[in-house]
Amino acid sequence: MKPKKHFFDRETVLAPLLVLPAGLYIVLFVGFPFVMSFVYSISNVTVGNPNFKIVGLQNFTAILADPVFRTSLFNTVIFTVVSVLLVLVFAHILAELLLRDFRGKWLVRFLIMLPWTAPIALGAVGFLWFLDSVFSPIDWLLRDVGLLGKPGALLGPASNLYWLGRPVLAMASIILVHVWRLLPLGTVILISGMNSIPKEIVEAAQMDGAGYFRRLFDINLPLLFPVIGVTILFATFFTFTDMTVVWVLTRGGPPPNATQVLASLAFLTGIEGGDLAQGAAIAIFFFPVLAGLAIIVLRLVKKAIVT
Amino acid sequence: MKKISRRDFVKKAGVGAAGLAIGSSVLDLNKAFAQTSRRRTLRLLQWSHFVPRYDKWFDPYAKAWGEKHNVDVTVDHISLSDLRSTFAAEIVAGRGHDLIEFINPPSDFEPSVLDLTDVNKEAEKKFGKQVPVATRSSYNPDTRKYYGFCHGWTIDPGDYRKSLWEKVGKPEGPKTWEELLVYAAKIKKQLGVQNGIGLSQELDTNMAGRALLWSFDTGTQDEYERVILDNKRTVEAVKYMKDLYDKTLTPEVFAWTPASNNQALIAGRASYILNSISAYRSAQKDVPEIAKDVYFSPALKGPRGTGWASEHVIYVSVIPKFATANADLAKQFLLDLVANYDRAVWESELYATPSFFNAPVPHGERGYPLVRGAKHVRDVFHAWFDNDPFALPGEAKGKLLPLKNAEKWSANIGHPGPANPAEGEIFGTFVIPNMFARVAQGKQSAEDSVKQAAAECRKIFAKWEAQGLIKKR
Repeated sequence: MKPKKHFFDRETVLAPLLVLPAGLYIVLFVGFPFVMSFVYSISNVTVGNPNFKIVGLQNFTAILADPVFRTSLFNTVIFTVVSVLLVLVFAHILAELLLRDFRGKWLVRFLIMLPWTAPIALGAVGFLWFLDSVFSPIDWLLRDVGLLGKPGALLGPASNLYWLGRPVLAMASIILVHVWRLLPLGTVILISGMNSIPKEIVEAAQMDGAGYFRRLFDINLPLLFPVIGVTILFATFFTFTDMTVVWVLTRGGPPPNATQVLASLAFLTGIEGGDLAQGAAIAIFFFPVLAGLAIIVLRLVKKAIVT
Repeated sequence: MKKISRRDFVKKAGVGAAGLAIGSSVLDLNKAFAQTSRRRTLRLLQWSHFVPRYDKWFDPYAKAWGEKHNVDVTVDHISLSDLRSTFAAEIVAGRGHDLIEFINPPSDFEPSVLDLTDVNKEAEKKFGKQVPVATRSSYNPDTRKYYGFCHGWTIDPGDYRKSLWEKVGKPEGPKTWEELLVYAAKIKKQLGVQNGIGLSQELDTNMAGRALLWSFDTGTQDEYERVILDNKRTVEAVKYMKDLYDKTLTPEVFAWTPASNNQALIAGRASYILNSISAYRSAQKDVPEIAKDVYFSPALKGPRGTGWASEHVIYVSVIPKFATANADLAKQFLLDLVANYDRAVWESELYATPSFFNAPVPHGERGYPLVRGAKHVRDVFHAWFDNDPFALPGEAKGKLLPLKNAEKWSANIGHPGPANPAEGEIFGTFVIPNMFARVAQGKQSAEDSVKQAAAECRKIFAKWEAQGLIKKR
């Protein structure tokens, strides 16, 4: 006699049941806020009044006509592209180094992972002191070696560089801190990718006389493409949507909005300014950009894996 | 060891979850029952005060008030930067605290809070007239609604280093913006110490910029809430700021946070700042020799003799609509706080300034040395500003005297009109600091920068007019 199959043994019951918590999580903590953001972005809701009416695309036309929004969009693109490029380059160098054996490798690995384990706000506050306009230890060092703070000095006669007070230096500073933060993630992803490259291919190329750069461009990078694609995707998402580094270091300054990015502008407009609808419209602007990027990168990655 | 099958796991997990759910609902029922049989609770939400001593007094005071009225009072302190977002979340949730204290006018929350006209009228009946800066920061003349109750505020004077100003021939400090430009430039050139007015996207820069505009007989709006920024006097003020930057400041000020001018003063790297007396109090504790050298000046006068300073902090309490059940308690708490404002001023080390100067001083032990003949809060306030009870041993007397009549030269955000939501958004999105900074950095002409800022202001006003919180004119 065939044993009776229990209710929970049925795949049609068990499979959805096991997926349910993840599905609920996505619906409650991703889907619902996303739908709310979309509804808010086409409404006239304010921070002080949750009752609202739908106003169509009014908020979108308003933000597109706003020079501050356009500046923030430009800053976001610069912040993201430069950060991601630097993360890719440095993560690749670090991954190459960490795949070799040397004394104290565990310590180097530990130090590289540290920025990822510490809360970003804490790290950013540390950098805030590091880049302080008056008490920056970097400036102190530069003054000490004679590069700053006296007539004819290479970096100028002023006592400080004013890292966060000058537009270009301020943008460079937030990129630097963000790269410091994302580097561990990029490195770990690339190490796992490099470990998956079959050693025989590399060894065969070596025996055929292929040098380092030949191996890098003809073997490593093509085989690493899917992993690099994932790194680009993660790094872009983390950078495009981040406001912690900007908020702690510059709050969008120096004026006028030299480091304002879309995430900080959405907060500034929606919460500090009270115009929640326009803040949501700025935030929802991420969606088509990031969704488009995700589709392109994932398609390219899929193609690379198949071929 | 017995293996656990998939079926067992799901079954046991299901039973466990159901057990937990039943258990927690039983606990909830018990809690609900306990609550109904308990006395009432009043929950307060406010910032962590800049002067920690104030919170050390306020929290036990609130508890003691609760004991007297058979109420459990809880006081939750959060960071100043979290106040707006926390309260917004509570409004959407429809539950939270009963009484929320802001330190800037929360006029955009008007649709979600109770009209406090009754408690404001009651306070005026009991304690006399409220200072105008407080009324304009809690009353909307367009909707005729008191969205808040303002029990106090903080003065924002000029703090200057006397020894530096003495060396350039101006020991009494600047009285006008022109003097600030001339003598702060001399101090920077001769003594290498810069002026300390910020030009960044932060609170103190916002206040300094407004003080400059008002003293140049202009502003963002007029008394009828019409945008008036785009005029010759604003251009004149912006050009003045450019001059002030070129001659007395460094690019450091573009990166300043609200704490930067305090830090610069305490570190001996600023000749003059616009800040409350808290910067001086910090110096008293950390660097007494600097504190002894810090003196104060009232609002600086502009080219036509007008002199206004911004309030530094304005304490406006609101009662959300969802807390209607406890509104009677919250209102009584506010009235009793005003009745005890001599203590609030004392415990904040004179940081808090009363909105009701004519509130009577209660009899008996007040926790501070007796002020003879003091009948009203104004009397103790004046006595303490004549002779600062928190001065360091050997410190000069009468340093706070110039601030005694500060209510005459202190203005609210939105002066000469009310602190409406449009003014709140202009303040919150740093339209004015950016207007000044664009010109100081040489990126725009004064005329173009003013035009851009005025256009931003008009757009913001139009939004809030459409919301019905400002009357269209």
